[in-house]
Amino acid sequence: MFEDMPVDVGLVHVGERIRKNDMYVELGGPSIEEKFELVRVKKPDEIRDGAITVVGPDLSEMEEGKKYPLGILIEIAGPELEEDIEGVIERRIHEYTNYIEGFMHLNQRYDIWVRVSKKAYARGFTTLAYVGNVLLALLKNELPIIEQMQVTFFTDQEKISARYAGAKAIYEARDARARGLTDDDVDVFYGCALCQSFAPSHVCVITPQRYANCGAISWFDGRAAARIDPKGPIFPIEKGECLDTVRGEYTGINESAKKRSLGTVHRIYLYSAFAYPHTSCGCFEGIAFYIPEVEGFGIVMRGYKDVTVNGLPFSTMADTTAGGRQVDGFHGISLEYMRSPKFLAADGGYARVAWMPSDLKEQMREFIPADLFSRIATEKEVKTVSELRDFLSLHAHPVIERWTAEENVPMNGTNGAMQVFSGGDFPITSGGFKIIFKNARITADRVIIEPIQPKKPGADK
Amino acid sequence: MLPLTEKKIALTIKEMESGLGRIRDLSISIGKLSAADWTEPEGPTPYPSLTALRTWDRTLLSRYQPFYMPFCDLCCLCTYGKCDLTGTKKGACGITMPAQQSRTVLLSACIGAATHTSHARELVTYAIKKAGRDCPINPGGNAIGVEAPIIRLVCGEKPEILADLETVLDYCESQITALLAVTHTGQEGDPLDFESKVLHAGMIDHVGMEVADLAQISALGYPKADPDAPLVALGMGTVDTTKPVILVIGHNVPPSVAIIDYLHNENLSDHVEVTGICCTSIDATRYSPRAKIIGPMSWQLRYIRSGIPDVIVVDEQCIRTDALAEAEAIHAPFIATSEKNCLGLPDRTNDTADAIVTDLVGGKLAGVLILDPEKAGEVAVRVARTVAPARKNVRASTDPATIREQVTACTQCRLCQRACPNDLKIPQGMKAAGAGELSLLAGLYETCVGCGRCEQACTKKIPVHSLIVAAAAERIKNEKFVIRTGRGAIQDIEIRNVGGPIVLGEIPGVIGFVGCANYANGGKEVAEMSVEFAKRRYIVCTSGCTAMSIGMYRDEEGKTPYEQFPGSFSAGGIVNVGSCVANAHIAGATIKIASVFARRNLRGNYAEIADYVHNRVGAVGVAWGAMSQKAAAIAAGFWRLGIPVVVGPHGTKYRRMLLGRADHDADWYVHDQRTGEDVYAGPAPEHLFVAAETKEEAMVLVAKLCMRPNDTTRGRAMKLTHYIDLSQRNLGTIPDDIPRYVRTTADIPVTLKGEITRILAQSDWKERPIPDPTLLSRDKPSPPKER
Repeated sequence: MFEDMPVDVGLVHVGERIRKNDMYVELGGPSIEEKFELVRVKKPDEIRDGAITVVGPDLSEMEEGKKYPLGILIEIAGPELEEDIEGVIERRIHEYTNYIEGFMHLNQRYDIWVRVSKKAYARGFTTLAYVGNVLLALLKNELPIIEQMQVTFFTDQEKISARYAGAKAIYEARDARARGLTDDDVDVFYGCALCQSFAPSHVCVITPQRYANCGAISWFDGRAAARIDPKGPIFPIEKGECLDTVRGEYTGINESAKKRSLGTVHRIYLYSAFAYPHTSCGCFEGIAFYIPEVEGFGIVMRGYKDVTVNGLPFSTMADTTAGGRQVDGFHGISLEYMRSPKFLAADGGYARVAWMPSDLKEQMREFIPADLFSRIATEKEVKTVSELRDFLSLHAHPVIERWTAEENVPMNGTNGAMQVFSGGDFPITSGGFKIIFKNARITADRVIIEPIQPKKPGADK
Repeated sequence: MLPLTEKKIALTIKEMESGLGRIRDLSISIGKLSAADWTEPEGPTPYPSLTALRTWDRTLLSRYQPFYMPFCDLCCLCTYGKCDLTGTKKGACGITMPAQQSRTVLLSACIGAATHTSHARELVTYAIKKAGRDCPINPGGNAIGVEAPIIRLVCGEKPEILADLETVLDYCESQITALLAVTHTGQEGDPLDFESKVLHAGMIDHVGMEVADLAQISALGYPKADPDAPLVALGMGTVDTTKPVILVIGHNVPPSVAIIDYLHNENLSDHVEVTGICCTSIDATRYSPRAKIIGPMSWQLRYIRSGIPDVIVVDEQCIRTDALAEAEAIHAPFIATSEKNCLGLPDRTNDTADAIVTDLVGGKLAGVLILDPEKAGEVAVRVARTVAPARKNVRASTDPATIREQVTACTQCRLCQRACPNDLKIPQGMKAAGAGELSLLAGLYETCVGCGRCEQACTKKIPVHSLIVAAAAERIKNEKFVIRTGRGAIQDIEIRNVGGPIVLGEIPGVIGFVGCANYANGGKEVAEMSVEFAKRRYIVCTSGCTAMSIGMYRDEEGKTPYEQFPGSFSAGGIVNVGSCVANAHIAGATIKIASVFARRNLRGNYAEIADYVHNRVGAVGVAWGAMSQKAAAIAAGFWRLGIPVVVGPHGTKYRRMLLGRADHDADWYVHDQRTGEDVYAGPAPEHLFVAAETKEEAMVLVAKLCMRPNDTTRGRAMKLTHYIDLSQRNLGTIPDDIPRYVRTTADIPVTLKGEITRILAQSDWKERPIPDPTLLSRDKPSPPKER
């Protein structure tokens, strides 16, 4: 595929780092103010298919050890292409250019940072056209929906400046669209079967307002992946009829779940942790866990090291949550879903969240309704469920309205047997034999200690 | 006394008057583990008997049939013999060559399992003494939910406190005894039944290892599943020879702990060097990062003969049996501390420390046996401090002139080379040294495994090994490295973190480099292999002597692999789990995947989980220079989980391989649970136990053996990329079995589309489904509960 390249091209070079001393030139990077990379969908007649253009000095015209500005513009056309997947294709620039030996690409969009190694340059990697070749070959090969494509590299400061503001405006418009897109706006959701290789009954449904549990796949990613590889693990799910707008139940999702989960999952509520919650594989970023004593949720993310307010650490609750099952009140979630207006919407959303780690709460500040922010407890304020109850009462958290008459709700884990005896040697004599317990621990459901009445002469034997 | 046929009894008393009071509805259980609140349903095979998993074993062995390579044609185990078993001949008892080979493998695996289990028993007893019966088992705090994956899986128990481990060991001991009985003359005769029992021994070995490491992690405060476990000193060059130096050799850490504790209590930690060889040194550094690791077992002769150690303390396993004589030669007092390794020494356990110190310091005794670790620790420190000042003067290195003088006796008879297990060109080195050129002799240092057989062979009594070491003096001075000490288990959280990257094809596999690198160039080669795979973003796990060998190499910036790569179980991590017994954590991580992702029940559910691991978890073990029976047992434990193991060329001396036949299509069908159909899934993994001739061949094999039937297309594309790339770079060719591993066009690596499409077009390749794979038949009822 790349026989004409002076350097090797392959996945094995992805991790390659080019240090300052090994670098021939740097393009973009922290010391360059304006730089960009952008993918645009065009009409076929606006594209000269296969064209690679360098506007400004090429590598061979650059001075060793110096830094230069960079803009990468990829224009593509094809009947299946739409603006919505430009961003997804744009991220492949990072992936594919890093396959090139001696070429390092970091970050994306207006933040790109590229280095070309001295070794690669010495071997003849003297023009950006080679990068264009790789992008053309790999993008068109991997994404057959791209029918025409041209690549332009800008290294001329003025030409970059002329396009920089436009590129930034496009990024912003894209982000705004992504944030604004609701589940009602689309007819198709996406399902992902990647995790089924380890959790066969897990069914992941990806909607504009519900990111995949792993946090790695958005609705846009799903849309692009399903178009690119129609037989692949990410597939469209026609919404079908909406059976419950509040809980987010759709006929299309239910049918897909039945088919894909080996018959174990029949219904899914997208926005609820109860009854038919979305299943969880093993790599969810966090858990929304129900705390019955306060009738609200706690949230914990994978990296949280301490025990949560219910006395359990993430790892223990993850064990309850995982495995492609629907477990009432234990709900695998992604960080991105916590930024969605549909986050646990059927259960009350943030108004139902009683506890979360302080770092996470801070991270979610702009997504938590302002009047609720101070009412949600963190590990800094409370350590136990009873402290949590006091905190919620004191701060008039909305969940307290759910608390009816003060009932004695049995607490989890206290209905088991208790230990009544442990220790050294303990002989019991009964019915003519003696049992000696050495280092025994004895548990019993109930222990009654009452004084032994001295036997009266003549009493029953 | 109640006759107890089983150690576990449960007693229920409705109502009873006793000295303690009136007891009502009291239920008592003895020998049962403490996790009364464990609700996971019990699977079909808790505490499996010798035959409980025979069906699973036969499933594996029908795919991966034993290929026997007799290391010896005779059987001389009973007095009928010796019996010649070549060709189709049978022994006097009727045994055939295949059965005899597998019988020997079983013996070897029993020795290995017995060694780890006995080690575990000592550690549990010691840990209980130190931390109490109720000391909680805690391998990783909140980051770990499944604290003992192997024990849960095999025994169906959830140990919570140290005392719980005793019951588990009772089971291991009973199984090893029975397995050993199987090797008696006139028992098992069928090779596959022997092989099934080899797998059983391996599984028991893993239980024993897990017990041992859980006990020491919990009681001794080792790093707990810590990716940032400290970097500690490694290599002979790191020793401060101006201080008294203690050398510990072996695997069982209590004497080392006692030495470190005594130094700490006496405020002497800064004044005495604690150095170690083999696993006991890794465990010493897990206990105190001030301890120093000299190197793998092959460093014993060279380090002792350097004269640096002032006192030598040995515990058990992999210790040279002539260590005492070597110690005497440098006048270093010697302390044996294990009842398994008494070396003919007088037992001074019951004498006072003062008396023993006096006898060792005064030269009255060259060595003693002290079966009390605390006493041994005190004696070692006191003797080292007393003898060190005088010994500093005797530490003479051999100068070049002396070397030249000694080699003049060499007659170039080549017996040394013939005796060398690695056929090193010693005679050339001697000749050049005689002419004043030491570089050839010094060059042998790298490849020498330190066995000393050359010296035994020399008719002129030339101290060949010592001369090689002396010639390499400069190099030894620069043996200054670091190793990340044993972190222990893999966190459940880390396993969750890698789930996404594995299915998205960012992590191509998990590779365990284990055992010793006891093979010419073995150390260098495992280091190179582990760096290569870490760079390729595989997860690299390691342990024991191999972990040390990996640390002994530097990149162009002077960094060791432990400084270049993170210690986390993540893409491109190099994860040192710890000493030999910590290998259990590598197997445990693969088991935990079934629990963490699929929420499969582990409890007494061996076959289902092994089937899951075999078909889904892309893990491969590499024992590049393994020599011991323990290594045989460890490998067998991986085999029963369906995890392939690659050994170096001399691994063929383990007498048989377990090889798949890629050309037999029928062998590679799996049951697709999604459709209920049997589908061809390709030879993934192709072998269960296989030897590679060279490092290059091994790397290609390892990349190939990481493939599994469940791979996502992105995962498979990544695995194929590395397989093909490693093959092209190392063997100069694209492998010819690519069509067997491409299931759909989406499996084809993006940069190789043209070539592979061509290859597929030339074969009769057809697209095939990606199954939800199992080798177990779901239609069959589960086997009856085994007790």
